[in-house]
Amino acid sequence: MNANSKIKVENLNFFYGPKKALNNVSIIIPDKKVTALIGPSGCGKSTFLRTLNRMNDLITSTNIDGKVLIDDVNIYEKNIDIVELRKKVGMIFQKSNPFPKSIYENVAYGPRINGIKSKNQLDEIVEQSLIRSALWSEVKDDLNKSGLSLSGGQQQRLCIARALAVDPEIILMDEPASALDPISTTKIEDLIFELKNNYTIIIVTHNMQQAARVSDNTAFFYMGDLIEYTSTQKMFTNPELQQTEDYIRGRFG
Amino acid sequence: MQSHFTSEIESLKTNLIKMASLVDELVDNAITGLATGNVGLCKGMKSRDREIDAYDNLIQVQCENILAIFQPFATDLRFVMSVLMINNQLERCGDIAVNIGQRAKKTSSYKELIDESKVIDMANRARKMVQSAIDSFIQNDIQLAKQVLVSDDEVDKLNKEIFNFLVNKMKSDSTLIEPCSHLIILIKHIERLADHATNICENLIFYIEAKVVSHPKISGKESSTND
Repeated sequence: MNANSKIKVENLNFFYGPKKALNNVSIIIPDKKVTALIGPSGCGKSTFLRTLNRMNDLITSTNIDGKVLIDDVNIYEKNIDIVELRKKVGMIFQKSNPFPKSIYENVAYGPRINGIKSKNQLDEIVEQSLIRSALWSEVKDDLNKSGLSLSGGQQQRLCIARALAVDPEIILMDEPASALDPISTTKIEDLIFELKNNYTIIIVTHNMQQAARVSDNTAFFYMGDLIEYTSTQKMFTNPELQQTEDYIRGRFG
Repeated sequence: MQSHFTSEIESLKTNLIKMASLVDELVDNAITGLATGNVGLCKGMKSRDREIDAYDNLIQVQCENILAIFQPFATDLRFVMSVLMINNQLERCGDIAVNIGQRAKKTSSYKELIDESKVIDMANRARKMVQSAIDSFIQNDIQLAKQVLVSDDEVDKLNKEIFNFLVNKMKSDSTLIEPCSHLIILIKHIERLADHATNICENLIFYIEAKVVSHPKISGKESSTND
């Protein structure tokens, strides 16, 4: 973990009402690497992921303290523009959620509301985004087809293209392949491998093999605590802590 | 209730222990036959070796299935990897025991030369190493495994001494060329037997301590896999 840091989280606590979901989490996430977050259901990994682009702000009765610094700027400062933040930190969800619009409009939507009106410029962004999300060759002749008519795996890659279209620096992925068949899963994993050259990626996954395959570093969460954070190679061959070992071996009581 | 994975691992370990006890018996018979001249002990070794080969195949398939189905991590992954490697070493020990048995038959009438050359001392050390390697695996006894690594140096030293002794014998008495040639091949087998015992112990250390200790000269020191 010697690469430059992109995200620095310091003493982060998060509450759903009275329930503490994250307990004093501190972590440094390197730039242009894939960081996997693993842990049992309810351990706080998805909550943690959502703190990185303030998606938890949308949930009532939540509370947060501590710092989340992206490029050394605390995203929880009062003067932060949430729209700008979410342009910079895109998100892909477990269930693909394309808009009920054409493939073209799904990808062009973000740049358009950001003020880009030129047709040529939008065409260029749509094409580049679909190429980067490894979907272009499958849809280039049918860009006016509804995004909802695509297969599950294609829809997920369309959502990735939509996220890429607004030129983010960080991509958060919450179980992006859990509902996909093995071939679509492989395409998403290959895509993650490709994307890490240009983006910082943080992925939540319940699939240990997937975490091992796609990530450079892995963080293990349990009951709101960050238990162990190390290189993925070490995590899955010889983790430091017995608790981590028990989890990755599927021996959690 | 035992989990599916645990029962597969237990079955794998049981088969490896059964294979190891066959190897132990074969090595013991070959070396006892050599030491006592009772070559009757060396009969039927090939059919016993075929039983070992059958375990070799079975264990390979079991390991492949476990890796494909469970995709284990950490200690579990190292266990299956070490079983695969130990299985290979044991299979070779079985073959070598057969070879030693065959040489024992050919050299049984040269008891005096055998005694004088310290071949039996070397063979007994190698036998002890194989037994200790097997015991260390069954009991997960890392200290015992490390003792075996030290013993290998002693066997290597004896190998050189005996080789020189036998070459000098051949130089001084041409009638001893044939038995000495058999004994040179025999000590090579014994030396390899000790090497395989050493490898088994290195594989056990990899499993328990997550360290690769083979070929220390390459890394210059004991290398840890992912510390």
